[in-house]
Amino acid sequence: MNIQMPRINQIPFFFKNQNLLIQCGIIFFMIIILITLIGPFIVPNDPFTANMSERLAPPSSVYPFGTDHLGRCIFSRLIVGAQSTLGITALVVVTVALIGIPIGLLIGYIGGRLDTVFMRLADGILALPEFILAIAIAGFLGPSLMNLMISIVFVKWIAYTRVVRSIVITERNKDYVLAAKVGGSSSWKIIRRHMFPQIVSPVLVLATLDIGKVILTISSLSYLGLGAQPPAPEWGAMLNDGRPYFQSAPELMIYPGLAIFFVVLAFNLMGEGLRDKWDVKSR
Amino acid sequence: MFENKPTTSNENNLLVVENLSVTVRNSREKLIRNLNFSIPQGEIFGLVGESGSGKSLTATVILGMLSKSLEVTSGSVIFGQSEITSLSEKELRNIRGRDIAYLSQNYQSFFTPFIKVGKQFIEIIRCHTDMSRKEAKKVAIHWLNKVHLPAERVFNSFPDELSGGQLQRASIASAIMFQPKLIIADEPTTALDVLTGERILDLLSELKEELNCSILLISHDLKHIINRTQTVGVMYGGQIVEIGKTSAIVANPIHPYTNLLLQSRLRLNKHIQHELTAMLGEPGLIAEEGCPFSKRCPSVMESCSNIVPMSSLGTDHSAACHLVNAEREERYVTR
Amino acid sequence: MITIIKNRVTQLVVVLFILSLFTFTLMKLAPGDPVLTILNADEMVVTEEDQAELRNKLGFDQPLYVQYGKWMFNLMQLDLGKSYMSGKPVIEELLTRIPITAELTFFAMTIMLCITVPLGVWSAKYVNKWPDQLSRILALIGASIPNFWLGLILIYLFAFKLGVLPSSGIGSYSQIILPAFTLGFTFAVVYARLLRAGLLQSLSEDYIYAARARGVKEWRILWLHAFRAAVLPVLTIFGLSLGSFLGGAVVVEILFSWPGLGSLAVDAIFNRDYPVIQGYVLLTGVFVVLTNLLVDLSYYVIDPRMKRKEEAL
Ligand SMILES: Nc1ncnc2c1ncn2[C@@H]1O[C@H](COP(=O)(O)OP(=O)(O)OP(=O)(O)O)[C@@H](O)[C@H]1O
Ligand code: SF4
Ligand SMILES: [Mg+2]
Repeated sequence: MNIQMPRINQIPFFFKNQNLLIQCGIIFFMIIILITLIGPFIVPNDPFTANMSERLAPPSSVYPFGTDHLGRCIFSRLIVGAQSTLGITALVVVTVALIGIPIGLLIGYIGGRLDTVFMRLADGILALPEFILAIAIAGFLGPSLMNLMISIVFVKWIAYTRVVRSIVITERNKDYVLAAKVGGSSSWKIIRRHMFPQIVSPVLVLATLDIGKVILTISSLSYLGLGAQPPAPEWGAMLNDGRPYFQSAPELMIYPGLAIFFVVLAFNLMGEGLRDKWDVKSR
Repeated sequence: MFENKPTTSNENNLLVVENLSVTVRNSREKLIRNLNFSIPQGEIFGLVGESGSGKSLTATVILGMLSKSLEVTSGSVIFGQSEITSLSEKELRNIRGRDIAYLSQNYQSFFTPFIKVGKQFIEIIRCHTDMSRKEAKKVAIHWLNKVHLPAERVFNSFPDELSGGQLQRASIASAIMFQPKLIIADEPTTALDVLTGERILDLLSELKEELNCSILLISHDLKHIINRTQTVGVMYGGQIVEIGKTSAIVANPIHPYTNLLLQSRLRLNKHIQHELTAMLGEPGLIAEEGCPFSKRCPSVMESCSNIVPMSSLGTDHSAACHLVNAEREERYVTR
Repeated sequence: MITIIKNRVTQLVVVLFILSLFTFTLMKLAPGDPVLTILNADEMVVTEEDQAELRNKLGFDQPLYVQYGKWMFNLMQLDLGKSYMSGKPVIEELLTRIPITAELTFFAMTIMLCITVPLGVWSAKYVNKWPDQLSRILALIGASIPNFWLGLILIYLFAFKLGVLPSSGIGSYSQIILPAFTLGFTFAVVYARLLRAGLLQSLSEDYIYAARARGVKEWRILWLHAFRAAVLPVLTIFGLSLGSFLGGAVVVEILFSWPGLGSLAVDAIFNRDYPVIQGYVLLTGVFVVLTNLLVDLSYYVIDPRMKRKEEAL
């Protein structure tokens, strides 16, 4: 726009360097990983032992964030919960990638009718909202963490297959791939040498951003009671546990929520940073 | 009139661009350097140069629409009585479309694609007057007829339902509705086929006579506009390298770049004839210092790495090239 | 136009087929014997004969494909069976809940638009200036905050601490604000970024330059010439993420005790009321696909070029 805008608003200094986003994300990420790994050994209290005499205690030196309705240490539960929340998420995302990428390679490489069928199927499945599917699966197979994970995987692999497929299709017809083919390289070699490097960055960006989304989905459904079941210290489930008491003891909900928020934020920052850096187009 | 020193505002001149320089904001990158030219009332002025030479940018400055990332670092653009670079956005908006009209190089993107042509005519009219919709429509139809278009049909069409020639005519109609003093036609024929393009230029010349306005005709093809313009400025690398009466330039092009533009058609200047034929022109190769053309110039000499001032060759022709002096001497000798 | 409708209708049929197969299969896979559930076997003595009779009556003794055919046939007539819990027809249960969820969704979308449009336009207008950075931060927050937690915080602040808004229930406008905001906010800030990107793209088009050169006022350029093209990508994404929107609605309904479709579904899950779950899943699926169809059609209203391009084919 050509209107002269007032120039009082300079870019805040911390945004001057776009890579700062990645850096923040990476620092967050390292802290989270550290906590996940060593957390269970350094927690001040046993996250599972109920102690009714100490229930809903305010923060103290023994219980840094206070205790929940069963007298369990909130801080300890949060730290240990990081492991289950992140572990589940990592498992889901890795499974999704392991299913989605090979199928994408295959479909993109073979193309033709297989591709058409896949696209139709993908449209069909994508029309079903992930969340609704999760509800359906949880509804029919019973609410459990396993079923929740299955339903997320069921929907998510498609995105990976699509990305990989479209890259393979554009690359397939490029000169260097044709040259490699003419030169007698095997299909597998072409895929490994020429296609794989192309798909690494988009998939990594997709996965990083997905981790955040998966954490949010899992915790939302756990909050509804459709995911992790008590007494698991999963963050969403902790929020659900604390729901009846949160007027009197807001720390029951504030800390787990903050934990979710920061972890997701870390992955989003990192994902966005990577996307900017590698200039990956969002879908 | 074409001297490098600031021209004294001639009563007869509608537009005077003086010493205009444009740079990228917060950088030293100069996109336009010390531009000087003026357009007399009722004349067609041609601005010629290859892609990226800064023709459209010059038009943008005259329209007062420079993007925020660029800035005018020196000079002035005087249109009538007003200094364009110091007008407010509101004042500029009143001039644009009313006193200065614009025709774009890409007719397909002159009108907004999803709004009917007629509606866009009415929009322009109602932005500049307080006519009712009905009156505005009458005016629009009148001008559409004027450019020999099936007015009603065009009025009710979306832009992409019209052919290129029709669109360009419609855009001319929209440009002349307020009988502007200056029409900036930025490569109005580039995207059209030759015949349609010629007809558009015929129409423009015709309308110019009728409205007694001036036209800034931008083109990348000098040969194409020599019959249409009274004066021509040749731009290279953001500078005007040769300027003068079209007839004088055609008769005696000095600057090697002008020669290149006229190459196939015209008698070459004796000095550089041989070299020029062998010259490998790589468009866009612009020297940072001295003569912008020195990296491509077959007659390049040592002094060309210094800034080459405009020097005149008679009253109605000047060029920024050391060859001007040689030419002068030659004239002197032959005389 | 015709082709796109045809494609969409085909998709609709495919989706419904997959969906029906999906729910039917899940229903069959579901643990527990529905016959026993209906007969309330936990609390009453049920004879073999009773079971067999009901099994026969419900057609459970027939081959699966016959069952599926019958089930499909009933489905066509909107007969989704009866709720195990209430004994009322599922369709009736759904119909009474639809308006409640619709109300929530409507207000959430209104709030969403009220945030998305100004924020998107504002940040496009001041690219890289502080409004743009603000919207960027908001979008990051919106994409990272669990919306049920946002809701909890809002309840805590506005209902418990300040006492200005009710924490739950339906009926009055003051009760809509918190749930609608909770649902709308996270989507709004993310869409604002999309709108911004779209606007930046369309404001750089040549026709915008030309319109400006004609002296058209800046606000007209923004809203009439640039906005339309910018809205298209946002609409597409919106259509695609409508599912997440409805998912969010489930959480918000539970959070704010809204007796809408989401609450119905969650209750049904805990009570193993399969026909209701199935009805909910089918209904939402149909709704999402239909909305996507609408989004597609709206393209033709927004950008008439598309219509003609296709007619020319
Ligand atoms: N907003 C801008 N920021 C930076 N550089 C710009 C901007 N606008 C134009 N330029 C640069 O200014 C130079 C002149 O561009 P201009 O559009 O005036 O060329 P032109 O002579 O009209 O070429 P063409 O024949 O292709 O239309 C180009 O190198 C272009 O990259
Ligand atoms: S000034 Fe020198 S380099 Fe430039 S055109 Fe003239 S002779 Fe060539
Ligand atoms: Mg141009």
